[in-house]
Amino acid sequence: MSEHFYTVASDSETTGEDKPQPSFPDVAIGIDIGTSKCSVAVWNGNQVELLKNTRNQKGMRSYVMFKDDTLSAGVTGAAARENGHEERDILSGSAIFNMKRLIGRMDTDEVVQASKSLPFLVQTLGIGVRPFIAALVNNMWRSTTPEEVLAIFLLELKALVEMHLKHPVRNAVLTIPVSFSRFQQTRIERACAMAGLHALRLMPEPTAVALLYAQQQQQLMHDNMGSGTEKIALIFNMGAGYCDAAVAATAGGVSQIRALSGCTVGGEDILQNIMRHVLPSFDNLYAGQTMDRIRSIGLLRIATQDAIHKLAYQDNVEVNVDLGNGHKVSKVLDHPEFEQVNRAIFEKCENIINQCLIDAKLVPEDINDVILVGGCSKIPRIRSLVLGLCKKEISYKNIDALEAAVSGAALEGAIASGVTDPSGSLDLLTIQATPMNLGIRADSDIFAAIIPRNTTVPARRDMLFTTTHDNQTEALIAVYEGEGERAEDNHLLGYFKITGIPAAPKGTVEISVCMDIDASNVLRVFAGVVKPQGPAVPPFIEVRMPTLDDGHGWCGQALAKTYGKTLDLAVLPKKLQP
Amino acid sequence: MASFAATATALLPGGCGAPGARRGGRCAASAVALPRPAARTQTHYEVLGVGAGASTGEIRAAYRRLAREVHPDAAAGSGDEGFIRLHAAYAALADPDERARYDRAVAFRRAAAPVASGSRPRRWETDQCW
Repeated sequence: MSEHFYTVASDSETTGEDKPQPSFPDVAIGIDIGTSKCSVAVWNGNQVELLKNTRNQKGMRSYVMFKDDTLSAGVTGAAARENGHEERDILSGSAIFNMKRLIGRMDTDEVVQASKSLPFLVQTLGIGVRPFIAALVNNMWRSTTPEEVLAIFLLELKALVEMHLKHPVRNAVLTIPVSFSRFQQTRIERACAMAGLHALRLMPEPTAVALLYAQQQQQLMHDNMGSGTEKIALIFNMGAGYCDAAVAATAGGVSQIRALSGCTVGGEDILQNIMRHVLPSFDNLYAGQTMDRIRSIGLLRIATQDAIHKLAYQDNVEVNVDLGNGHKVSKVLDHPEFEQVNRAIFEKCENIINQCLIDAKLVPEDINDVILVGGCSKIPRIRSLVLGLCKKEISYKNIDALEAAVSGAALEGAIASGVTDPSGSLDLLTIQATPMNLGIRADSDIFAAIIPRNTTVPARRDMLFTTTHDNQTEALIAVYEGEGERAEDNHLLGYFKITGIPAAPKGTVEISVCMDIDASNVLRVFAGVVKPQGPAVPPFIEVRMPTLDDGHGWCGQALAKTYGKTLDLAVLPKKLQP
Repeated sequence: MASFAATATALLPGGCGAPGARRGGRCAASAVALPRPAARTQTHYEVLGVGAGASTGEIRAAYRRLAREVHPDAAAGSGDEGFIRLHAAYAALADPDERARYDRAVAFRRAAAPVASGSRPRRWETDQCW
């Protein structure tokens, strides 16, 4: 299995229309790339089936081990199997993991900053470019990228599926966190392309869970001849890297996503908080990675992780570990202390749930079911917090917390591949919503949202802008995505200029910027002058976003500094309608 | 995945409003001449196929039923236009405040603009109030 050097397929190859027609049913597989663990599922003709690796695991550790000339991913665990110390090997500096936290992020991102305490090398310059990451091979740091690491992992995953199905697979539905920017989504698609997979859909994790819920409700209705009334579910998903919430309204197999919200906190943050808590000198320990320090941190990480897992089932737990070099940790941790240390994380969880309820225009009493998924949903405080906010005693029972997202992805894969089932169990439709505001920079540094978050997709909205200078003939359209009020606080997706604007006093020209998201979640921006009209006006411009390839933080600042004043636009207040 | 051309032609007529609206000229110039769907003159109630007295439950049910027919994921090959129009109608009528505002606007326009032959009324509410 260690022979799997990845091959880089060009992007154009991934559409695959020109390929000879396969003789097997080309049903898209479902993949859940977790920060900590990955899983893969397929529609086997009757139902969703999760695949196991050779070690009989459904959840496979997400990492790639770099050793001499071989690379091996956690799918088979081949690298670690030799000595049976998988977790310790992963933490030796030779493996890259947590790639889902790193992919498509700039070095100014706090998630990247927090990743600097991981055993492999994460170097940052703090100027909005991509971080430098490297794995330790024979006492030397060898550079790689999160996309490359993910591609290697996906390649091994693809091989596992093909071995199981006995035919090649090409299409996949992957689940992603709600808070993934469109730029990050392109990085996932890129990694898939490198592994020879076509990312048919990227599905926010809670919406995959919503699809599974819709299927179960549909089944219940068939069985009981139920009334088919609408049921509202709140889905809370918290894994190692991300935390998401969604509100879905389901009836008759149609699942409508009413609201989505997400943030970048997860089990990894809880783990780091506890590590710092039990070892106050933690930050000195990882400043400058030497072999000793990497080993010490690895030991602490394993002990702390173990303690957190145990604390889910017992009142207190003892962290007892000798880190070498005179560092010893011996501490008893109980629930109040655990909750105190992680208070900020639990507050963020509360915020996204409240945000979701407000955006869906619902009160807790409207919710029929609370669905808790993801590894962190086992933490008692998380359970009580979510159930408390939703005013429920118990959570929905029929969904497996660790298998729900991948099962939903496999369902979506089957549906999107056109598979139908005589029992009607694939007769489902998910009406998605866009999780973040999309808009442009205007009025110096204001983020003018054109498509607000939680707009149902497919969607199309437009907004009018005007010039900010007399005789302004050019305007910069800088497209952003996010929740910040200032453009700078959001993700830059791309930019272009409108040129040839007819000379006119400021505020008199009307420029329309229209944003369109199609059912495949492709974002296009159309912009042009709509007033004055006539042959002297330049043609509209259509741009598929994101156009930016890298270094978006850096680029946004350069744009603002160089063109912010001269090519600025102002939002044109909506005219009073007749 | 919708082709570029299909999306572009589907987009421009809807995105820019009906002829007579202030952006109409621009669109006519840039869009491929497409037969205007007759549905553009429908009220939200007509789009959903419900009566003016329909309950919120009926509106939701009609939305779900029609979504299965016009959503691009459910009806392969159909553009986004049909679903966007359906959702706009639903969004306006499912919320009691929005619905009241819409009903008032329709009543007001009917009173204020007795149908002048030859000129189509401006359908701003379907384009901009969603």
